[in-house]
Amino acid sequence: MSLFIRNYKPNSLATVYNTKLWRLNSTTTDSALKKDEEEEEFRVLDILKKRERFQRRVVRRTDIQPDRADRMATDQNWGNVWPGPKTFHPSSVPLPLRQGYVPKGQAPPGKKANAELMKIPNFLHLTPPVVKSQCEAIKQFCTEWPSLLNSEEAIEKHYPVEVITSDYCHASPTIRNPLARIVTLRIKLSTLNLDKHSKDKFIRLVGDRYDSTTDLVTITADRCPARAQNLDYVNYLLTACYHEAWNVEEWEKDKTEDDMEYYDWNNNTSKKALVNWHLQTKNENRTLNDDEYKAFDTSEIPYAEEYKNAVSSWFNDGESDATVKNYGEVVRKLFGLPEKK
Amino acid sequence: MLSRSWRHLCRRYSQAVTFRTTENSPSQHNEKQEGLFYTMNPDLCKQLFGHGGFPKSFQLQTKTFTETAIMVRQPALDLMNCIRASDMDKPVIRYVLYGEKGTGKSLTIAHLLHYVHEEGYLIVHVPWVSEWLRRVPRHKEMSNSQTREGLVDLPLDAAAWLIHFKSQNQTLLKSGDLKISKDYVWSKRETTEAGAPLAALVEHGISRVKYACDVVDALVDELKILSTNKQCKTFVAIDGFNSFFYPLTRLNTPTKKKVKPEEVTLTNSFLKLTNNDWSNGAIVVTADQLAVPDDHQESYLPRYLLYKKGFEHLDPFVPIEVGRYNEKEFLCCAEYYRDRLWLRGPKEIETELKFTSACNPYRFMEQCAPL
Amino acid sequence: MANNIRILNKCIPWYPSSYLLPRISGLLQAREYSRPTSFPDYFQNPVFRKEDQAKLIESSELSKIAALPMKPPAVYETSSVYHDPLVNKLINHVMEMGKKQLARSLVEKSFENIKRAQIERYHLATTPEAKAKIELDPKKILHKAIENAKPLLQLQPIKRGGITYQVPGPITEKRSLFLAIKWLLEATYEKERTVHFPKQFAWELLDAANNTGKVVKRKQDLHRLCEANRAYAHYRWQ
Repeated sequence: MSLFIRNYKPNSLATVYNTKLWRLNSTTTDSALKKDEEEEEFRVLDILKKRERFQRRVVRRTDIQPDRADRMATDQNWGNVWPGPKTFHPSSVPLPLRQGYVPKGQAPPGKKANAELMKIPNFLHLTPPVVKSQCEAIKQFCTEWPSLLNSEEAIEKHYPVEVITSDYCHASPTIRNPLARIVTLRIKLSTLNLDKHSKDKFIRLVGDRYDSTTDLVTITADRCPARAQNLDYVNYLLTACYHEAWNVEEWEKDKTEDDMEYYDWNNNTSKKALVNWHLQTKNENRTLNDDEYKAFDTSEIPYAEEYKNAVSSWFNDGESDATVKNYGEVVRKLFGLPEKK
Repeated sequence: MLSRSWRHLCRRYSQAVTFRTTENSPSQHNEKQEGLFYTMNPDLCKQLFGHGGFPKSFQLQTKTFTETAIMVRQPALDLMNCIRASDMDKPVIRYVLYGEKGTGKSLTIAHLLHYVHEEGYLIVHVPWVSEWLRRVPRHKEMSNSQTREGLVDLPLDAAAWLIHFKSQNQTLLKSGDLKISKDYVWSKRETTEAGAPLAALVEHGISRVKYACDVVDALVDELKILSTNKQCKTFVAIDGFNSFFYPLTRLNTPTKKKVKPEEVTLTNSFLKLTNNDWSNGAIVVTADQLAVPDDHQESYLPRYLLYKKGFEHLDPFVPIEVGRYNEKEFLCCAEYYRDRLWLRGPKEIETELKFTSACNPYRFMEQCAPL
Repeated sequence: MANNIRILNKCIPWYPSSYLLPRISGLLQAREYSRPTSFPDYFQNPVFRKEDQAKLIESSELSKIAALPMKPPAVYETSSVYHDPLVNKLINHVMEMGKKQLARSLVEKSFENIKRAQIERYHLATTPEAKAKIELDPKKILHKAIENAKPLLQLQPIKRGGITYQVPGPITEKRSLFLAIKWLLEATYEKERTVHFPKQFAWELLDAANNTGKVVKRKQDLHRLCEANRAYAHYRWQ
């Protein structure tokens, strides 16, 4: 049997083997079998079960158009493609964008089906040509720029108050940033109409908001939730400080020399010392009272004016090598001593 | 013995060219000697500085070096010029020496003292004010003043100072030309009459320590009158003067009350002396960082150290800065130290030391010490 | 000032780029960190002395180590003319609680005392021969004192048959240096309260340099004991 199976080949040698097979079977039912043989086709035992090869299914492609982004002309009018603010759409933007965080060494995912690109607000509708054309369009509604405000200085002169606010763009569901409420007001102190006393008081009122090197007063407000409120508040503060600076309170008359931020030589003992010295050199023994000291005319003393300046600068500009040296030179002249070598 | 002194002389002569000047009289010093060392006579040194006047470290140096040599420096020369040029009929001129720690303010005063001693001035020299006001040994003698209400006497300090004054002005006091102008009544039995010599007043203060402070006060008055009357020239030198104006002293009364400097009689006397209401003299004071506590030493400039009060007291004054060594002075000093065996080693060490000490005289001396 | 900077530049052309390996990792120059530092093991000790650097250049070993990473030198490892490793060692022995500045000032102060004493002696001496004999350099005196105080033998306790024997034996260079410094300091600490450390230490150093004093006596006592115990010497190897 095994021999048969091994050597079986369909169609070619079937008959030969069939006879052999027949002989090996029993001979008793020989006649009956002969009759069947003629009626039916012999069914071959298909042990290997040779399968019919399936025909590969032909994939039927649907008729898809190429991506719109690929079909766009390079010289198209972009303003027509993307006319207004819109969520990102990959087919409308012919740019090879990639966005998203990936482990190091990998490329970020492309633009298609990329939620990262869709989350953030975009400004694709605000390209420079579009902005330009829109500006052109609304130009008819604008008035002309005042011709006198032609320089920074002129603007500064006529509009001394400078209000600074910030707008923010960021990736969050809301477009409102809390920092946008902060309003900063800046003004040069010299542009305010203040006299000596009120200027001093104004500076004391605003405290460290005044920068003496740039002469700028900077007031910042962030306590109200909306920008408009803060702006109102800043304006209020400036107005209030200004008017308060002009008020003279009763107790302000108690201000003494030590509270002054400058050294007035005429009111100080330095002048008394100089006058005393001068009187002694002339051998006049006069005793003056305070008012007489103040009223004493020092112009008759040689080098008195320089001496006054030297002492004042020592006190007002702070003590340094230069001021001390200057003072020394002047005093030497005053006393008629030789110059230092 | 002869050979030794000969060798000594030879050595001195050979090196005199480089760092030493043979001109030992300060009145002859001028710019030629600038940066060079001159040697002070030991006897004179003992007379002038026997009771203080040199900083401690310098005193130790003189002992080690077996001589007292002072460098002729520009501030001292400048001051001498000024003193020579000043008009003695006009009120006295106050000079304020200032400078960083260890630049030689006290030694400049020492040099000047030598100068004015030669010129025949009467010397009023306070070696270190903080010694009275800020240094509190275990037994600091203090008592309430008998004559001035609310003030504090420092009798021992005053007596010690009188001894110092006496030794500095030995010759002038011995001559007896200086007479007292009015009577001083100390107690029922003790009086110093008008016309008595100044030395008697000083002696009284030394022997009767109880009255020492009052004697100092009287002495100050007398000196002012004497010099204004041209009977003598007075030179006042006060080291650490800014100690008088620091708000507090370290002294405590027996009732544990803090004493302010103006409550001390000595302070009043010497402030009176530094007023410019007298003539025929010169006043040199120093503003020193070391005279005030550590936390008030931010700047070495005079107004910071003297406070406004001190500034107003002295104004107008001539500020004179005592600076660090310049190139020449440094080399001379290094050369001198080599001669005195204080500095040894290869020549290039000097550049290293110059860099590390930043040419500060005291720091230079200190850094040479362990080498 | 410009002069200073020029000199400084002259001094340090080696330092910023690479610190060099010492050829012989000397007993005193080697740098050991008490705590782990940011320098890994393979970092080499710096060569901060100009002489050592010159030696390296001469023997052309510089190129071998030029590319190796170096530790930076410590603050006390300077190229100063007066740098002395032995003095650094001594300062470290004097130091307590890491107060190096204080220790340094004490040692320097004692040097100053030595110097003052010697200069005074120099001026007191009458003949040039006597003057020439007086050693004025405090560092040389220190070296001599430590050389004189160094023991040559030591006693080791060794237990044999239930009895501990003090067995004499040779001493390493390092331990002998350690003992010398330790004895000097111990002798100094035995002082009256009113005498300050620098003064006493100066005296001890001068004594030891003259081959007299407590420390030298202690060394000689040790030698004598070693001599007496030489019968036990075989216990070292049995």
